[in-house]
Formats: sequence, structure tokens, C-alpha cells
Amino acid sequence: MSNIVIQAENISKLYRLGTIGTGSLRRDIQNWWLTRVLKKEDPYFKSDTHDKNYLWALKNVNFEIREGEAWGIIGRNGAGKSTFLKILSRIVKPTKGSVRGRGKISSLLEIGTGFHEDLTGRENIFISGNILGMNKREILKKFEEIVDFSGIEAFLDTPVKRYSSGMYVRLAFAVAAHMEPDILIVDEVLAVGDAEFQRKCLGKMKDDSTKTGRTVIFVSHNLQAITNLCSQALWLEKGQVNATGEVRSVVNKYLGSDMKASWKQEFTNIKQAPGNDLIRVLLFELVIGDSSPMAHIDIRTPLTVKYKFWNFTDNITLAVGIHLFTLDGDCIFDVSHTPAFYQKGILEGECQIPGWFLNDGSYYFSIIFVKDSSEVLYYYEEGLHFEVEDFRENMNWYGKWMGTVRPHFPVTLRQVESKNLEIK
Amino acid sequence: MPETSRWWEWEIKTETSWLGVSFRELYSYKDLLFRLVRKDFLSSYHQTLLGPFWVVFQPLLTVITYVIVFHTVINISTEGIPAFLYYLIGITLWNLFSNTLLNTSHAFLQSASIFGKVYFPRLIAPFSILLLNLLRFGIQLLLLLFVAAYFYIFKHLEFNFIRLLIFVPVIIITAGIGFGAGLIFSIITVKYKDILNLLELFIRLLMFVCPVFYSIALVPEKVKWLVYINPLSSQFELFRFAFLGKGSFDLIQILYALVFMIFLLFAGIFIFNKWSDRLIDVV
Repeated sequence: MSNIVIQAENISKLYRLGTIGTGSLRRDIQNWWLTRVLKKEDPYFKSDTHDKNYLWALKNVNFEIREGEAWGIIGRNGAGKSTFLKILSRIVKPTKGSVRGRGKISSLLEIGTGFHEDLTGRENIFISGNILGMNKREILKKFEEIVDFSGIEAFLDTPVKRYSSGMYVRLAFAVAAHMEPDILIVDEVLAVGDAEFQRKCLGKMKDDSTKTGRTVIFVSHNLQAITNLCSQALWLEKGQVNATGEVRSVVNKYLGSDMKASWKQEFTNIKQAPGNDLIRVLLFELVIGDSSPMAHIDIRTPLTVKYKFWNFTDNITLAVGIHLFTLDGDCIFDVSHTPAFYQKGILEGECQIPGWFLNDGSYYFSIIFVKDSSEVLYYYEEGLHFEVEDFRENMNWYGKWMGTVRPHFPVTLRQVESKNLEIK
Repeated sequence: MPETSRWWEWEIKTETSWLGVSFRELYSYKDLLFRLVRKDFLSSYHQTLLGPFWVVFQPLLTVITYVIVFHTVINISTEGIPAFLYYLIGITLWNLFSNTLLNTSHAFLQSASIFGKVYFPRLIAPFSILLLNLLRFGIQLLLLLFVAAYFYIFKHLEFNFIRLLIFVPVIIITAGIGFGAGLIFSIITVKYKDILNLLELFIRLLMFVCPVFYSIALVPEKVKWLVYINPLSSQFELFRFAFLGKGSFDLIQILYALVFMIFLLFAGIFIFNKWSDRLIDVV
């Protein structure tokens, strides 16, 4: 078993929300007088977690990282991943606790930190390298490699503001990829850049960690990239560690927990059920459509939406529509059945969505009840939230797949003729 | 498993020490320091008509204005010294002070976005600004020496090499005061941004209190105290003395300036170190 290189004890980080500082000089002085001179409790800094002005971005996080391990940090937005990396990178101080470590840390939290638009690519390689913690000798030694890796040789003496965004990113990452720290910290920076380059960068990071025994800490929303690159994972949830361990088991736990509670909405009490005098919703549920053992939804998973409701009107021509939205509010589809004649009582139905239909992302369902094809009786909005995870096979690319839908239409490619071509 | 505390090479704690980093760590970032100086120097003259020549044009233009306003129009005495040389001496030192103070006071806000993304000893940023200003001052000093040489040779001004060397401690004290005060302001301005406007106004007013284009000897007795509490006064007189052999100062004033500089410098460095880690959360 290799040595521990990073050990964190009870690190916590409290952020004040809202305005910067206490807002005014008068309050600052008053505050200083109370806390420092009279030794009273700071009226603006209560450790009360219920105070909505304060947020524990991290709370009592403990972990140990051993030499040569590659750790993936996973968690939802706002779970504290970035704060976690910033503390490890010595950018922010923890409010409580401490981290001890051994070896040189370099962190890559942003692409092109310190780049100066007006200066040439060559200058910027040195600026960026120095800022990331390399010294001049190290950069000179790696200079050729960096230029090769970025593929911008012809533009080395052009100001970077004239670069295309792709070239800019390639140059910035090329510098970062040639750092040789003992511990490398990488935030979600691979979301930028083209597919080929992403593959190259991930490949280089993987090589570094496996061949040279470098310790890597990597944050990404892309679970595919995490499972591929990392051996261990740490799952943060609301600033606390939810699980740590072998990457696959942690990722599966994370996926399994995925908002299951919001997949089923059942209202047995007719008085409290959402609705009105005409319609009240009894059940709105998302069911994983086949017998697959997966506890989460990925792009392959067929889904079934089930609904049940009370109808308070006799002799009504009724139709139920299911609307699917992306989290951004774009409607993906609006499906319904042929309107028909119903009586007072409980009605139920379902809508089936095949697998290989939705792309990865966050979605929600709404349900609408319509009378006579025109009059809206009730619209139950944002009822079911769910996330579709990505799934890829035989693929070396980890970027975001384009599009809202991800159908499995047959796509082919054939060689029509083969001969040597020359473009003059 | 080594359990001894000697195993760990670094520790991240909740508070920063007053000194921030060890000298060894600071030294290990010297490449970055020089790189930042180079970057700022290159970029500030990028896509300009005259480029780095601005470093010498700026004081020259100011001196010409002063000669017209203070010498020709208002006719303030320059103690029998050619006005051009007299004003150039004052302005060269004044530029060192005011630019160091003003640029350093932007150090934190200017670098906040980098501070938020990558770690290096925070002091490197203001130090690079200090070095850049010393570099510009060096070029202006060369100009001053050229002009002075002209007067020594062709206008038979008295030249004394040993006396001239007085400018070395004067530069250190003046830059030190500007840098120390700038460090303190760079922290204050993060919280109260309007202080920057006040500071600019204050610097402009301060110039009239400093003997930049007049001699202390000309100040009426009634307001002399104003000149004496200003630690920079003796530095301007000394600087002029180094070149011209004329100036009114005494040992007490010089010691006062020295102590003032040391105090400001340490206070500035401590405050900058202690607060930069707290402020990174709020910028």
C-alpha cells in the first residue's frame, strides 16, 4: 500500500451569501468593536446553519489520498466540488479543519489562466507555465512538446486574441498538460475543445497517472470520463461526503440515488391532491420501462409515465396530454390520445417512451387535462423531474453529445471506390 | 506508514500567518515574478504609437508644462538652477512614488481573477508591480542622468560623484513608502472601491505638499509644519541635493522618513498577506 499524500481533517467552508463584506464601514467598525474589543459574538457571523445568509459549502469532510491514485469527485451542482478543489489548491482557506500533504500540487481550475490577449502564443506559453507553477527551465525543456501538442506552431508569434477559440483552448491546455507536479488537480475543463483534442488530453492525463505514478484529482459531470480515468471516487452531497471508494461502486450509488423520490407523486387524500373542482391528480409516476436491473436512467432506458386522477364531471369529452420539457424549458414533445367520453370517477392511463430516444440531460414531465379538445381543465406542471445519464460503448470521446434526442437511426458509410487522390 | 509530522511537507490551515509564505517559497517563484513584470511591460506598450518611449516622453512633457506654468507664468524660484533640470529631478522622483503607490493599490483587484483560479504566493503580484515601476523609474533616471550630464558639462554645474550616490537610499525610501501604502490600499479598496477615487485625489493634492517644484526654503514659516510631517519632503530635498548640491533637510527628518518607510512596508506586507486569503472569498 502506497503512502498517504493528502490527508484532510474535518474541512468545512462557510460562505456568506449576498453582499460583499458587511456592506458598510459603519457596520464593519461596529462589528470589529463587538467581536475584537468587547469579545462578544459576531452578530454577522453566526454558525447557525438555519441562517439563510450563510451556506456551508463543505461540512466536516475527511479523506485520505494515497500516492498514485486517481480520484474522481462527483456530485450535483452546488454540492461543494469546486470549493473542495479550491481548498486543496490553496486558493481559499477552510473555515474549519486542515489539510496536510506531501509533494507539489498543481491545479487546473480554468483554461488559460493568466493568458494575455495582446501577447503572442510564445509569450503566453511562458506566462501560463509560470503561473501554473513551472519555472523557466522546465518550460524551456518542454517547449517543443507543448507546441507540438497544441498544434499551433504556425501561429506561435501571433497575439492570442487573433486565435480561434479552438486554438486558444488547445494552447492553454497544452501548457497545463505538460506540468509535472506530484499531485494534479483538474476541474471540469474538458468540456471545452473539440473531440479529438479532448481525447488527447484525457489520454495524456491517464498516461501520467498510470505510468508516472502521479496522483490525480479530477472533477467532472461526465461520469463516463470519471470511470474511465479514475480508480477511486468521492461523492459529495450538500457539502458532505456521501460515499468514497472504488470508482464504479460510488458512481453506481450516485446514479441509483438519482432523485428517485421525485419519480413518483401520489396523493391519496383527495382534499390535498393538486387540482381543482374538475380534476384532481391521484398519481403521477415515472417507471423504468423494462426489467433491466439498472436503478438509474440512461439513454438506453425505456420509460413509462403512469397517471391516475379523479374526474368530478359526468359525460365529459376528455383528453390527457403529456408534455416533456428540458430543464431549460424547451418542450420536446406534446403527446395525447384521441379524446373520448368519460364518467365521474377515477381514471388512469400511461404513456410509453422507448429507450434510445432522449439524449443525456435533465428533463421534467407535465400533465394537462383538456375538455372538448380546447378547454384546459387543469395543468399540472413540472410534476416529474428526472435525469438521463449518458452511456457510450466503443467510444473514445467524452464530450457532450449534441442534441436533445439521441435516436438509434441506422447511419451507414461505404467506400464507393478506392484510389489515390491528389488535390492540386 | 510514516506517522511523524516530518512526513508532511505542507499544511493548509484556517488562518494565514502574518508573513504569508517563507522566503524560500517566495524565492522559488522568482521566474513568475519576472514573467509578470515582462508581461505587464510588453502589454502596456502593445499597439501604441510610441511604445516604450512613453516612459521618457511622459516626464519630458510634464516638465515642459511645468516650465511654462511655474517658471515662465508664475515664476517660482528654482534657486538659480535651470528650471528644466530642477523640475525634471522633482518629477522623476514624484513619478516613482505616485506610480508605485497607485499601481500597487490596484494589485489585488487586478489579480483577483487569477488569485481565484490558481495558487502562488499572493505577494508576487504586488512585487511584480513594484519591480515594473522600478524598471520604468530606472529608464527615467537614465534620462535624468543624461540631462544632468549635459548641464554638468556645458553649463558648468558643480558635479560630485559621491554626493550623487545619495539618490540610492532616497529611491529605496521613496519606493518603500509608496509600496507599503499601496499594499494597504490594495486591501482596503477591495471592500470599499470608492477609496480608489479618493486615493487618486489625495495623490494629486499630496504633490503640492511635496517640494516637487519648489524648495522647502520657500515655504512660509506658518505652514512649514505641513512639510515637516510629510516624510517625503526630506526625500525630495535630498534627491535634489544629490544632483545639485542644494537642499534643506536635517538628520531628524531623514530618520523620520526611514522609520516611516520601515513601518509602512511591514504593515503593508502583513496586512496584504493576512487579508488576501480572506478577501478571495468575497471578490
